[in-house]
Amino acid sequence: MSQSDAPGFDEPLVNYESMLEDHLEESLEELEKTEYSTDLGIMMAADARRVSNGELSSAEYWEKYDEAALAEFGEEYARTPNPAVDRVQQTIREETAETLSCDACSLPDVAEDVDEEPAEDDHIPQWGMVIDLQKCVGCESCTTACKAENRTPPGVSYNVVMEQEHGEFPNVTRTHMPRPCLQCQNPPCVQVCPITATYKMDNGITTIDYERCFGCRYCLVACPYGARYFDFGEDYDDEFDEEGKVEVPEYGNKRSLEDTTGQAMKCNYCHHRLERGEEPACVETCIGDARYMGDLADEDSEVAEMASDQRAFRLKEEQGTDPNMYYLK
Amino acid sequence: MSTRSYQFGFEDGRVRVGWYAIIAVGLLVGLYGLYVRLTTGLLETNLTATVPWGTWVAFYIYFVGLSAGAFLVSAMANVLGMKSLHVIERDALFVAVISMIVALLFIQADLGRVDRSFNPLFHRQGMSVLSWEVHAYALYIGVLAGELYFSMRKDLVTVSETGSGIRATLAGLLTLGRTDTSPESIQTDRKWLKRLGILGIPLAIFFVHGGTGLLFAVNHSISYWHTGVFPVIFIISAVVSGLGLVIALYVARSKFFGDHLSRELLAGLGKLLGVFILIDIGLKALDTIVGLYGMSPGKVETWYLIVFGENAWAFWLMVLFAWLIPLTILSRRTWRWSPRMMVVAGLSVIVGVIGTRFVIVVPALLVPDMDGMPAGVYAGTAEEWILSAGFIALGALIYTVGAELLPLKPLEDDH
Repeated sequence: MSQSDAPGFDEPLVNYESMLEDHLEESLEELEKTEYSTDLGIMMAADARRVSNGELSSAEYWEKYDEAALAEFGEEYARTPNPAVDRVQQTIREETAETLSCDACSLPDVAEDVDEEPAEDDHIPQWGMVIDLQKCVGCESCTTACKAENRTPPGVSYNVVMEQEHGEFPNVTRTHMPRPCLQCQNPPCVQVCPITATYKMDNGITTIDYERCFGCRYCLVACPYGARYFDFGEDYDDEFDEEGKVEVPEYGNKRSLEDTTGQAMKCNYCHHRLERGEEPACVETCIGDARYMGDLADEDSEVAEMASDQRAFRLKEEQGTDPNMYYLK
Repeated sequence: MSTRSYQFGFEDGRVRVGWYAIIAVGLLVGLYGLYVRLTTGLLETNLTATVPWGTWVAFYIYFVGLSAGAFLVSAMANVLGMKSLHVIERDALFVAVISMIVALLFIQADLGRVDRSFNPLFHRQGMSVLSWEVHAYALYIGVLAGELYFSMRKDLVTVSETGSGIRATLAGLLTLGRTDTSPESIQTDRKWLKRLGILGIPLAIFFVHGGTGLLFAVNHSISYWHTGVFPVIFIISAVVSGLGLVIALYVARSKFFGDHLSRELLAGLGKLLGVFILIDIGLKALDTIVGLYGMSPGKVETWYLIVFGENAWAFWLMVLFAWLIPLTILSRRTWRWSPRMMVVAGLSVIVGVIGTRFVIVVPALLVPDMDGMPAGVYAGTAEEWILSAGFIALGALIYTVGAELLPLKPLEDDH
């Protein structure tokens, strides 16, 4: 294969060319050994050289070979990020990127991701909540949103709003205090469970294993905030379809009448929503923007800043539960 | 070898029929309760998220206490060497085993998922008192059964070899093949009986019943329970109820089965009962004073509900039947020597301590966890009570059949 029309210095070019010619002979032999098409390999290699010489753009190159390569190398080709992509312009066609099932990015970017210190990526959030009682108007839309989101049975309300009136007429004030699960760092409910059916995740959220709980209700007794509930077997029957099932994201699938009957239930900060990068339903719905959800382990986060505010307090601190739930008075 | 007809049971056939008829009524009613429980789960109870424990949990701790108390009476006989108590040792052990079975039935009924009731044996959790309790109960039932076996084996061999009919057959099976009655073998039995008793005493005091008290007391969330003396009170009231049961059975056996009755032993048991009732009152008074002295809202409110609330019946049942009536009877020497008066004292205590257990479970849970949350309302439903009646009738049935068939009273009085 001739490279005579390539730009460059006269003398050394000849040497390089002969070296390449020699190498090519060996490459042919090597290519013959594989089960894949030798011709395609030679053509792609030749044009790859033109790309590096600037005679051909990589976009044109992939235009020419992508389909053939996919046909020849199949699944494995589709799954491999392509090293020969132009660094400056992201030139993999969108369809190709989709078949590669990777973000359209160049190899150096991929390499950067791979080489990254795992510690930074492994930052484990401590999900916490801050509720500004000055902003809460007691509309209970959080309670309603929670019921609608989690489809909890009658008598089960992961979020409630407590009301208190202070003073005497005409100097009366009213405080509304919403109470989801406080996601304690030392949860008594977890401590008392005899079978580890309830456990605390490293992101700070306490949840229940509905395939293990045997319904002794010790956790309901142990929770100092009354934040645990029990499915005594009642249900809103008209919610269920003909198969006796209702779509409940909390359980990751359709819940049947029996799935939670006889078991303890509790708020898990809408874990299914958190996993999608969404806020819990109660936070999202709050009309007065009184509820804030965030990572308390991140000192710069909004919730961490609010939690260290002078107005911030926590409920029943003397119980040693260390809740990840702050109120602003 | 001549065969003898051993007759441990009722002397009067009419009394037998009458007693079994009462049990049958209890069982039939309970059977309906069981049907409701199995078909509707916990729907027919009045339990809520605010009051998650109720009648069945109260009866569960009642029967655990009855068992521990009866066992401790038997332990006084074989470990502390109180010879005069030997005649009631087996009866106390037998009733202790049955009480544990009834207690476990109550807790089974209370579980939301009965099908998973063996989970504590597969998934342990070292921080949970309840997890430890389940294992303590299992070990304790083993100790009780072992003691009963070693205590009764000699007589079982005698009955199986010299008796006839179902009693001889059953006795033969229960000897588990150890039919040697040489002095060495009897000595081995006594040795193991004592060993199991020594293991059983701390097990019953600190784990089985102290542990059940601990299960409540560790909850910081419920200030009425959260005191150091709370588990101790559990143990004392357990001994009170256990002594009451043993006294009532001792008198009933002499009246209906024709067993010999030692008035001296009865008076001695009466004195012991009186002492334990006074300790029970004293400890409860101390706990109450400590609680109310600080005027902590949770405790004051709980005490108000205990004495004046809708469930105040339990407190007054306790005061009247577990304290005042038995103490009045036990205060007079002539009444302590009277089987008629003593059986009243024993039965009164058995009923009164039910009140003690309800006082523990229910009012404390009625107090809302936080101001602004709904206050609890609880009274057991008919369904809860009839299943309870069924379980109690079942316990009575097992005891009566056992008492009629087994040599629960030593065959020789010197023993």
